[in-house]
Amino acid sequence: MTADLGITIAGVEFANPVWTASGCCGYGEELARVFPLSRLGALVTKSITLEPRLGHPPPRVAETSAGMLNAIGLANVGVESFIDEKIPFLARQKTRTIVNVAGSTMGEYIEVCQRLNDVEHLDMVELNISCPNVDKGGMQFGADPSLTEEVVKSVKKVFTRPVIAKLSPNVTDIVEIARAAEQGGADAVSLINSMVGTAVDIETWRPRLTNNTGGLTGPAIKPIALAMVSAVHSSCRLPVIGIGGIAGWADAVEFLLCGATAVQVGTAVFVEPEAPVKIVRGLREYMRRKKLRTVNDLIGRVRKYG
Amino acid sequence: MTKPTCEDTFLKKRRSLGNDYYSLTFSPYSQAERCRPGHFVHLKLPGNDVFFRRAFSIAAVSPSAGEMEIIFKIVGRGTRAMAHLRPGDPINLLGPLGTPFKRPRKREHTLMVAGGIGFPPLLFLARDMISRGHDPKRIEFFYGGRTAGDVIERSRIKKLGVTFRPVTEDGSLGSKGLVTVPVEEFIENHDNGNCRIYGCGPEGMLKSTNELALRLGVPGQISLEAPMPCGIGVCLGCVVPLTDGGHARVCCDGPVFSIGEVAL
Repeated sequence: MTADLGITIAGVEFANPVWTASGCCGYGEELARVFPLSRLGALVTKSITLEPRLGHPPPRVAETSAGMLNAIGLANVGVESFIDEKIPFLARQKTRTIVNVAGSTMGEYIEVCQRLNDVEHLDMVELNISCPNVDKGGMQFGADPSLTEEVVKSVKKVFTRPVIAKLSPNVTDIVEIARAAEQGGADAVSLINSMVGTAVDIETWRPRLTNNTGGLTGPAIKPIALAMVSAVHSSCRLPVIGIGGIAGWADAVEFLLCGATAVQVGTAVFVEPEAPVKIVRGLREYMRRKKLRTVNDLIGRVRKYG
Repeated sequence: MTKPTCEDTFLKKRRSLGNDYYSLTFSPYSQAERCRPGHFVHLKLPGNDVFFRRAFSIAAVSPSAGEMEIIFKIVGRGTRAMAHLRPGDPINLLGPLGTPFKRPRKREHTLMVAGGIGFPPLLFLARDMISRGHDPKRIEFFYGGRTAGDVIERSRIKKLGVTFRPVTEDGSLGSKGLVTVPVEEFIENHDNGNCRIYGCGPEGMLKSTNELALRLGVPGQISLEAPMPCGIGVCLGCVVPLTDGGHARVCCDGPVFSIGEVAL
């Protein structure tokens, strides 16, 4: 019996539920030198904004216990260059392309998505309403249920393909935000983005990031992400895409059991560029061993205590 | 950029070079033949104590033996753990990575400007040039350190037949002072249009080398170091500011940059 790793989200079929997370695979070109991108269920691009951004000055990454802090600051080429220079490459890859979109204002999200709507070769957008490293926009939208609903609703008016809302863990109740995204018409939610954190150099007394704080990612945040995925899956009808510290196939299985329909691999790609490919392979072997025919046999099947 | 591979290899030989400096030779390494001077490898230590990989310039390769050597100094957690590796220990190698040096023309005077632990890629470059028919006598190997203990592998460098010019801040070896002083003297006594500089070392030294080269009109390249999560250009964590106002990724736009390109 061969296991079928295919999944469908908002009518879009994916060859497998293993995607790369935004900010961890650029626009695909570099990773394609390590493995064929066709092995991925989807590639989620680095956040795209209206204008090009340089991001914060270095240092903007720091190593932590079982993870890392980053405050890149949404460095990207801007939507025009993205469409002209990056989309042609992505269009040739045999994988789904999901474009992550960020903005400082509601208008910026709308304008970027409007332009992306004319681009043939992309399958979905993921709204980054959860970046902890910018002064304006980002997390500000994702921390407020009514702004979350509004930004999703406005984008849905101009972008005719499915929209994913990427949620922040830096909120009192992530379920409330997920419901607001659902109310706004989101087709799926992805969670979690990074957790606000910092680290200090005790010799210089300087924070290790010029932004003073950053976003914590990697295995350190996996238990938090799992609990949040589970909570959102139980109280919201939207498909959930799990993100947070997924480094191996067993991590992916945990997320699927907690209710994720797909997972995104992020920081692990930095340590092990082939991690997504290994996860796909491991998941297939696990499903064979457990005699599972489809990924659906795993999604949300965690046997919670009563 | 070269297409990297990710492979498991083993520590074959470990040498302590004194003063916290170590040389590690890994084998078998299938990519030894593809390594060029200026390339680096990204090492994943076994276990989970050190999360990121660590980047090291390649010091030497032996394609016939499938060996690759790096030389480093203990500066933190990662390098300390590496210094404790034993022959036979497994290690995962991602590489070769980065943009290598461009070789000089054969008639040019090549000025290697090394500072402390910056010498390994220049050792590789000098040896590579000589194996391609460059006259070792036209290679000036300036090597600066705080004390004599920071100018390591001296006999190995001398054996190449290059003009070895050690410089120490305390005068315990070679001339006393900063390495850039004799470099400047050399250029003033030669045709600057026929000199080429290759620099690698601490930031302050690179900054003065870069300024000196610009001021005296000598072309060349410098190799930078930066903490690097991914090493392949996707994380954007290792960027440096450029003189044109942009950013460049040390891992794949560098680590080798032209003189004047980076805002040091």
